[in-house]
Amino acid sequence: MSHNIVIPTKDKLFNFGPFLKLTPGNIITYILLAIGLAITVVRFTVGIGAVSNLDDYQPWGMWIGFDLLCGVCLAAGGYFTTVAIYVMGMKHFSSAARPAVLTAFLGYLFVVIALLYDLGHPLRLPYMFFFPGTTSVLFEVGLCVATYLTVLFLEFSVAPAEWLGQKFKCLLTYRHWIEKIGILLTIMGMCLSTLHQSSLGSLYLICPGKLHPLWYSPFLPMFFFVSSMTAGSSMVVFEGMLAHKGMHAYMDEKHLAEAPIVTLSFSKACSLILFSLFIMRFVDMVVQGNFPYLFTSYGCWWLIEMFGFILLPSLLYAKGSRDKNVPLCRFASCIAVCGIVLNRWTVSMIAYNWHFDAADRYFPNLPEVFVSVFVVTMIVTAYRAICYHCPILYEHPNFKEHD
Amino acid sequence: MNRRKFLTLMGTAGVVSAIATPKAAEAGVHTFPYYDNGYGVLHDLTRCIGCRQCEVGCNKVNNLPAPKVPFSDLTVTHKKRRTTTTEWTVVNRYDLGDKEYVFRKQQCFHCNDPACASACFTKCYIKNPDGSVSYNDKQCVGCRYCMVACPFYIPTFEYEEAFDPIIQKCTFCKSRLEKGQLPGCVEHCTMDALTFGRRKDLINIAHKRIAANPDKYLDYIYGENDCGGTAWMVIMPKPKGMAQCAPGNASEAHDAMKKVGLDTGLGNQPMGELTYGALGTVPMIISFWPLLLGGAYGITKRREAIAKANQEAAVAEERQKTIDAAVACIEKEQGKEAAEQHRAAMTAALEAQDSASQHGGEDK
Amino acid sequence: MRNGKALLSKMQTVACTICLFAWCAGPVGAAEQQQADTSTPAATVMFPVSGDKKVAKGSMQPVVFNHALHEKAVTNCGTCHHTGEPQKCSDCHTLTGSDAGKGVTLEQAMHKRTIAPAKKGVTPSSCVSCHEKVISSKQECMGCHNIVTPKYDEAWCNVCHNAKVTPEQLAKGSTGAMSNEENRAIADKAVKAQKPNETPGFFVPTKVTIDGLADEFKPVLFNHRRHVASVVENIKNDKLANAFHYKKEVICSTCHHNSPLSMTPPKCGSCHKAKVDPSNPQVPSLKAAYHLQCMGCHDGMKVARPANTDCSTCHKVAEK
Repeated sequence: MSHNIVIPTKDKLFNFGPFLKLTPGNIITYILLAIGLAITVVRFTVGIGAVSNLDDYQPWGMWIGFDLLCGVCLAAGGYFTTVAIYVMGMKHFSSAARPAVLTAFLGYLFVVIALLYDLGHPLRLPYMFFFPGTTSVLFEVGLCVATYLTVLFLEFSVAPAEWLGQKFKCLLTYRHWIEKIGILLTIMGMCLSTLHQSSLGSLYLICPGKLHPLWYSPFLPMFFFVSSMTAGSSMVVFEGMLAHKGMHAYMDEKHLAEAPIVTLSFSKACSLILFSLFIMRFVDMVVQGNFPYLFTSYGCWWLIEMFGFILLPSLLYAKGSRDKNVPLCRFASCIAVCGIVLNRWTVSMIAYNWHFDAADRYFPNLPEVFVSVFVVTMIVTAYRAICYHCPILYEHPNFKEHD
Repeated sequence: MNRRKFLTLMGTAGVVSAIATPKAAEAGVHTFPYYDNGYGVLHDLTRCIGCRQCEVGCNKVNNLPAPKVPFSDLTVTHKKRRTTTTEWTVVNRYDLGDKEYVFRKQQCFHCNDPACASACFTKCYIKNPDGSVSYNDKQCVGCRYCMVACPFYIPTFEYEEAFDPIIQKCTFCKSRLEKGQLPGCVEHCTMDALTFGRRKDLINIAHKRIAANPDKYLDYIYGENDCGGTAWMVIMPKPKGMAQCAPGNASEAHDAMKKVGLDTGLGNQPMGELTYGALGTVPMIISFWPLLLGGAYGITKRREAIAKANQEAAVAEERQKTIDAAVACIEKEQGKEAAEQHRAAMTAALEAQDSASQHGGEDK
Repeated sequence: MRNGKALLSKMQTVACTICLFAWCAGPVGAAEQQQADTSTPAATVMFPVSGDKKVAKGSMQPVVFNHALHEKAVTNCGTCHHTGEPQKCSDCHTLTGSDAGKGVTLEQAMHKRTIAPAKKGVTPSSCVSCHEKVISSKQECMGCHNIVTPKYDEAWCNVCHNAKVTPEQLAKGSTGAMSNEENRAIADKAVKAQKPNETPGFFVPTKVTIDGLADEFKPVLFNHRRHVASVVENIKNDKLANAFHYKKEVICSTCHHNSPLSMTPPKCGSCHKAKVDPSNPQVPSLKAAYHLQCMGCHDGMKVARPANTDCSTCHKVAEK
């Protein structure tokens, strides 16, 4: 081991040391978690109305627009990476698989947790299996997310199995079987992701009167799916950058050596997908005859989104991957991720109820935003905790691949 | 599976999905049974005087809490109000231009094929044979997708309720209909601006009224076909200075109807139908993707196998060459017999090395 | 006591009827032959002109058109002679329609109710559309005409189709063989023969107590006589109104609609029931029927007060 980290051993399974240090990051984390907990208490004792600006005109706000739509979309790295590595055989990225699967698993897990805030009757969530409303897009989303979360858990569970396997030997057999069905899980994950990533777009197909014509399109599911691929690849780059900042010590040589290759290859892929997304949305606008809308304020916003957050990152990615310029690719990934978030916000909030007067429009209030921040903080904290314990960013010495 | 076979399969799957998708979408259209004999209400805006008696009636028969502003205060109709959890119907005033005002009552339109029902993922909404769309709060998860789906912004949610928040909306006074009574608002209407009857009769009545006064009415029955047809329908006076629309022409009636807050641009399909196309692709994705990805995986594996075999062959060849060269060298110096002995020893040594490394690999 | 009250009310009615007779008995614009300002014809019989004799057979009576009277009522000749030429209507608008008349038949040219505005030039008007325009421009007409549409029955047709010519004259006129002098003679005779309408010195009830539905409110005391009198007064000097309200019962039929003309029409409650019958939903409930008639007429006549939503002006709130 060239790097110097604490790998939990049979006798010392837990490694919470890094959380106890009073670094600025930890302090901010604890403050945010405390605020989030307080809001959680209010939410579940006083009601949704007490902690949000949601109303009857805008039943879905920040929590759906960010936590659900963006959360699911940004967790797309999971399927994107695993398909690239296991199905397409790009073995040289294999060190990117575990972080991506972990992010996806945490992303989905916290999407479900955030959803509990938004639902009026969170405990009745399983009712969808007892009274399946099969005509509903939301049913499809729910079913896929539930199944995919299970798949992701199985895919991810290899890492904790390696960690706890030192103590509980039965987990080694479990790990062995999961490795065996790995390709099956990957393909299932891809199917489920295609379904629910696109279905998140389909959710809004039912309200053509509410969504601005520049964003409403019969191809909304397709746009959502394609943009989820860009989100997936951008998030691998973006998250790689963040992880390098905070978790550098936990990365092994293989991970460090592969990281720039991963970044550059994913940038190349993302550049192409972003460009095709740009063309698709542009053609859709022309075909739907939405040209006149371009000269309104919404048209301006649409152009900003299209050129600033789709075409620009596409070109930056292209340049970055050609020049082997990793920082440029990382910069492009920041723009692309912002673009995805903005696109989801536009569909769910900005261009929703677009014909309303400004006074009747929805704007999230502070507690709502804090709940979203709380969820993100929880994801980051959980990510850290898992990386401190499980072989995510490094290969476990006991389970190194033979080659 | 070789490459050609795989591509053929892929092509076939593509064609199948292209053919099957529209069919699947089509099959999904008639999700909710259409009840031909259902009841409805025709709201004639030329008759409505904005007296709020319908609100009184609704409040009374449904035992809703007393309103903040008493029903006798008619100025609230000038504000833009909407249905709330305790006001299932509200009357608002609309300006047709040129100081010509009309009133329109908002309530659930009780669609023939309701968007809320197709959106609900726990089947809380039912379209009843009597025409009403009812909601069952016992299995509601509180996701509020029905509110997103409803094109009329009708369902309302109890945001202030912490433990049992549910949707509230007009029920068409279903329990009263069962007893042979009129809905509360209709019974209280002072002008019969709300005409209760079988939906099909109401459409005839509306057409007759329009035909008898072609200059007075806009020749459009809102809800006859909009959103797949609604049980509650609206006819309105033709705003002065606006041209009459062609009978039932949604795009020509659009501007006039917009003045009373009704959107004729929603199309004649039930709103749920807009999503059935997307839902129809689910079986295709489930059957098509694994095939595609499995194929890709197969190709990858095969490519790896070929690469490995090639590499092994190259290594073996190289090894043979080396041995041959060495043997040739020995033969030159020590004679044939010694050369053969050395060749056998070298081969044995290499095999032993191979098996040792394999053994070691397994050990790991 | 009950009988006494009834007697009292009867006496009152009789007394008032006498008054009403005296009050309304004045002459009402009797039809008279008027001299036109210009050299245009005074009155003329308008025959359904056709070269074919058979067409005239079985035709209804032709119209005696009082040209002088109508000439004064319109702003210029172009209102009717929309081509700008003082030609006959039937020159272009033939019985079966011709290219010159843009396919508009003579029947349509006279009777069409809604005429799309012309993109340029004069928008033509038919007899009926012009009359309807007159009605809708007059506040005093628009009360009743806001709530009823005239029954387009035979009596209504006969208001204009009143020439009373012999079949021989009809045949002669419709083939175009009749001389102008003969035509004028028939027309003059018909115009002179027109008698002033029966003046609507009605036998009407004075006050009607509307108590069929009283629960939240006290019964309404409806001043029936005053309402009828005001209607009659308003249209007294209107020639058009007098021509079409050819019988006093016609005025009653505004509110007492949908029943045969009669001086003793059925009450509202005989058709309108307290609750709507779902199998016959086009008939409003009794409450709505009252409100629709009262408010419809008041709105049409632009009677500012009481406001439609001001219940307690007509209804006294019941004490509980």
